[in-house]
Amino acid sequence: MRKTLSLCLALAMVLTMFVGVTALAEGEMTAVGTPRSETLVMECQSPTDNPGQFNPYMIGSSMGFGVHQLMMSHLWEMDTAAGEQFGEIADGMPEPNEDFTKFTVKLRQGIKWSDGEDLTADDVVYTFNMIKTTEKGISMTAYLNTILDSVEKIDDYTVQFNMVSSFPRLTQVFGVTIWGNSYRIVPEHIYSKLEDVTQFKDPNPVVAGPYTVKDFDPNGYWVLYELREDWMQSTLGVAGAAYYGYTEADTPAKYVWVRALGDDTTRQMAMINNEVDLLCEVTPEMLDYMRSQNDKIACWYNEFPYATSDDPCSKGLVFSCGQGEPWNNKYFHWGIALAMDFDEISLGIFDGAGRAAAFPIITATSSGQELYYKPLLDWLENEFTIELSDGTVLTGADVWDPEYAFRMAEFKEIEGDEDYLIDMFGVGCWKYNPEAAEKLFIEAGLEKKDDGWYYNGEKFTIEMSYLADTEAQAGRGVQAAYDQLSKFGFDVTIVSKSSASWDTDGSTGNFQIAGYWPFNFITKDIYDKIQGFDADLIVPVGERANGQSCRWDNAEATEIIHKLAGIDPNSEEAYQLGLEFLKIAIEDLPMIGFHSGVKFVPTNSSIWEGYPSADNAYNGPWWWWSCFKYIAPRITLVK
Amino acid sequence: MKFWKYLGLRLTTWALTILIGVTFIFFIPRMFPSDPVERMIGNMESLSGSMDPAAKEAMRKSLRIQFGLDGSLWEQYITFLWRGLLHFDFGPALMSYPTPAGEIIARNLPFTVGLSMCTTIVAWCIGNFIGLLAGFRKNKRSSRILEGIAICIYPIPYFILALVLQIIFAYVLGWFPLQATIQYNNGTATFIATLLKASVLPALSILLLGTGWWIISMKSLSGTTSEEDFVLYARYRGLSEGKIGYSYVFRNSILTQITALAMSLGGVFNGSIMTEIIFGYPGVGTLIQGAIMQSDYNMILGCITISIVAISTCTLIADLIYPFIDPRIRYS
Repeated sequence: MRKTLSLCLALAMVLTMFVGVTALAEGEMTAVGTPRSETLVMECQSPTDNPGQFNPYMIGSSMGFGVHQLMMSHLWEMDTAAGEQFGEIADGMPEPNEDFTKFTVKLRQGIKWSDGEDLTADDVVYTFNMIKTTEKGISMTAYLNTILDSVEKIDDYTVQFNMVSSFPRLTQVFGVTIWGNSYRIVPEHIYSKLEDVTQFKDPNPVVAGPYTVKDFDPNGYWVLYELREDWMQSTLGVAGAAYYGYTEADTPAKYVWVRALGDDTTRQMAMINNEVDLLCEVTPEMLDYMRSQNDKIACWYNEFPYATSDDPCSKGLVFSCGQGEPWNNKYFHWGIALAMDFDEISLGIFDGAGRAAAFPIITATSSGQELYYKPLLDWLENEFTIELSDGTVLTGADVWDPEYAFRMAEFKEIEGDEDYLIDMFGVGCWKYNPEAAEKLFIEAGLEKKDDGWYYNGEKFTIEMSYLADTEAQAGRGVQAAYDQLSKFGFDVTIVSKSSASWDTDGSTGNFQIAGYWPFNFITKDIYDKIQGFDADLIVPVGERANGQSCRWDNAEATEIIHKLAGIDPNSEEAYQLGLEFLKIAIEDLPMIGFHSGVKFVPTNSSIWEGYPSADNAYNGPWWWWSCFKYIAPRITLVK
Repeated sequence: MKFWKYLGLRLTTWALTILIGVTFIFFIPRMFPSDPVERMIGNMESLSGSMDPAAKEAMRKSLRIQFGLDGSLWEQYITFLWRGLLHFDFGPALMSYPTPAGEIIARNLPFTVGLSMCTTIVAWCIGNFIGLLAGFRKNKRSSRILEGIAICIYPIPYFILALVLQIIFAYVLGWFPLQATIQYNNGTATFIATLLKASVLPALSILLLGTGWWIISMKSLSGTTSEEDFVLYARYRGLSEGKIGYSYVFRNSILTQITALAMSLGGVFNGSIMTEIIFGYPGVGTLIQGAIMQSDYNMILGCITISIVAISTCTLIADLIYPFIDPRIRYS
C-alpha cells in the first residue's frame, strides 16, 4: 500500500514538473503559437456561438469577435474623438440632390481586397442589390426595400443611391455611428458566385479591412487574426492615410488574438499576468484590484474617476407609461425624480464616478453636454415651471441642482476649474426635494397615510426591475434608486431579470419602472435617436413594440419627429427642433437619466502601449466597435 | 420467458420515461416569459444604440418565419417528436441560426463526454478501491488517513476547489492555461498536447471531489458488509483476507455503486457548467446555459433530450446487467 502511494506521488511530481518545464520552455509565445511580442491580445466578452462563420450576412455571425473591428468595412466610419463620420470606402460624404432622393457617393481608389482584387463600385452596387433581393435570410432586406429604390454604378469609383422618397440621413443608416453598422461591403467576385449567400459561412473571408483570419477555435473561444502584408492597400491603409495620416511606419501588431476569458476572476488574473492587453468593461472594484497587482494596468484616467463618461448609451430609470395612471403621469415622474438624492445614487453606482446626465433620451457625452445640456440650462433655470392645482408653482430652482459637480468634487477631493469639474461630473442633476416630491405625488393622485402611500384607496406599490446578467451601471442604478424610494416611504420591490426575459418585457412594456437605457447621443442630429418615440408607433402593453418600450405618448413630440424626418440633418432648423423636442421630454420626464455611459475599460501597458486615454484622446476606448482598426496603428510594442 | 417479459416491461418504461421527459422539456421553455426573436432584436438594438422602427418590425417578421416559430404549438410538438426524438434532428439552433443544433451539440459533446466519462470512471475506480480498503480494513492507519482526506475534500464546494486549483497552478505557478486554449489546426501532436494541458485542471477538480464521494460511500457499504455473518463465517473457515475482501465484501458492496455509476455516466451528458465557465473548457453545460438565456428552444431540446435518453438508457442497462453481478437477483 505504502509503495503504491509513493509511486503515485512520484509519478504526479514528475508529470507536474514536466508540464511546468514545458510551459517555461515556451517562453514568450502565446497559447495559440504566435510570438507575444507580435500579438495584441484583446478580450471579447463571450464566446461566439458560430465559430468559423465570418459572413456578415449570415444570421448569427458574431461581428464583435474581431470581425468588424479588423476585417469588415463600411461606406462611412466614425471618428469617436471628433464625433464625426468620415469616408471609409466612400471618399468623403455623399452629395445629395435638393430633395434628398438621390445621393452620389465617390469611392476611395486604391483599396484592395485581401486576394488582390480592387474594391470598386461593382462591390458596393452588388452588396446593396444582394441585400435588396435576398428575400429570406437577411434581416435588413424588407427595410432596405422601403427606403432604397436602386443603386447604380456611375463609373468604377462612383455610385448613385436612388431613394424611394426623401431620405436625408443616408450616412447614418448606411454608415457607422456608434458600435458598427449592418451594411458591410462584401466582394462581388466572391459572393456573386454563391447560390445562397445566407448559407455561406465564409471561414476564409476575403476582406477589405487590414486583417485576415489565421486560425480560430472551433468551439468559439478565440479567433487569431493576421495583418495583411498589403495592409496599406486595405481600408485602414487607404482611408487611414487620408483621414488619420497613417503611413507604413504605423504598421499595427502582426497578430491580434481575440479571445473570451470567461468569468470575472479569470479576466482579472489574465490581465494581471499580462495574458491579455485589452479588456472590455469591468467594475471599479475589479479595476482597483488589478491596478494594485500590476502597475501597468490603467484606465481612461490615471486617477479618479478612472472611467470615461463618453459611452453613448447611458443608464437611468424608465417608466412604462403604457401601464396607465399613475405611470404615465408627469407629476408622478417628477415626484420620483425629486424624491431621490442623486448624490447617494451616484456614490452607490460607481462611487461618484461619471458625468451626471439627468435629461431624458439624450445623454451627456462630451459633445452631448455641449450641444444639448448647456444650451438648455438657461431655459431650465429661468423658464421651466410645473404648476400644481393647489397653486404651487415649481420653478427651475426647485427641480434643478447645478451644484452637483462642485459638491462631488469636494467630496472626492478633486481639484480643477469649473469647466474641468463640469466635464467630469456634469452640469447638474435633478434636485433632492422631498417636500416638492410629496406635493407632486399628491397631484398625481396618490395619498399619503401613516403607513405609506395609497392610490385609488389601495396601498401603492412600485416594482423596479433591472437586467442581472450584464450592465453593472444600470443594475446598480436601479438598486440605488430602490433604496432612495424605500427611504422616501414607498413600498418598493426590486426584480432582477435575466436576459432571457428582459428584452421581451421591454418590448411588451411589462414593467413599472426599469433600468432600460433608451438614452444615447452621438451626432448633432438626433433624429435616429428619437424616431422611436413617435406616438404613432405605440401599441398596447402586452404587444411587441417597434418603437419606445416606455410608450410615452406626446403629440407635440411626435410632430417634431415627423418634421425632422424630412429636413436636412445638418441644418440649424434640425438642431433647433432637437432642442424643442428635448424641452418637451423634460416637461413630461418619461425617463430619468443618472449618468452618461460610464465605462471602466482597462488596458495593460506591459507589452503594448499607446492606447487611447484622457491624456491621449485620439479615439475612444472602444475595442468592441468597428472603429478599432483605426486605433490599432497607435498601439505599439513597449521598447 | 421471464426474461423477455421483464425486458418488454422495462423497455416500455424506458420509452415512456423518455416521452414524458421530452414532452415536459418541449413545453416548459415555451412558457418562459422570453422570446428568441426579441432577444436577438434587443441585442442588436443595444449594440447600435437605436433601431429604425420600420426596420425592427420587418426584422421581427422575417426572424419569426425563419426560426419556425409561426406554426401552432401542437404542430411544433409533432414535428419535434418525429424529427427530434426519432431522428435526433432538432432543427436550427436559434442562437446560431441556421447551424443545426445537433451539429453544435456534436461539436461540444466529445469534450464533455471525454472529460466527464474519464473522470467519473477513474474517480469510481480509485474511490471504490480506497473506500473498500477503508471499510474492510478500518483499523489500519493508512485506511484512516485516506478516509480522513476524503472527508476533508468532499464537502468543499466545487467552485472553490476549482478556483483554488486555477489560482495555484494557472495564476501563481503558470503551469497550466487560465482558460483552455486548444489548437486544432497545427497538427495532431499540438492538438493532443494542448488538449491534455487544457484538460488537466478541469479533470483534477472533478476527480478530487468525485473520488471523495466514492470513498465515503464505499467505505460505508463495505464497513457494513464486513460485519455480516457470512464474512465472519468466511473468516472462521480460514479464508485469506484478500479472498474475503474481494469475493465476500467487495462483490456484495459494489452493487449499489454500479447503480450510482450508471446514473453518473448518464449524467455526463449534462456537462458541467461550473467547470466549463471557470476553465473555459468547451462542453454542453455552457451550451445549455446559453440556450436558456437566449430562449433557444431547439438547443435546449437537443441537449436535454440527449441527456434524458442517456440517463434512461444507462439505468436500463444497469437493471439488465444486475443478475450477472449479483446472482441473488433474478428477472421478474
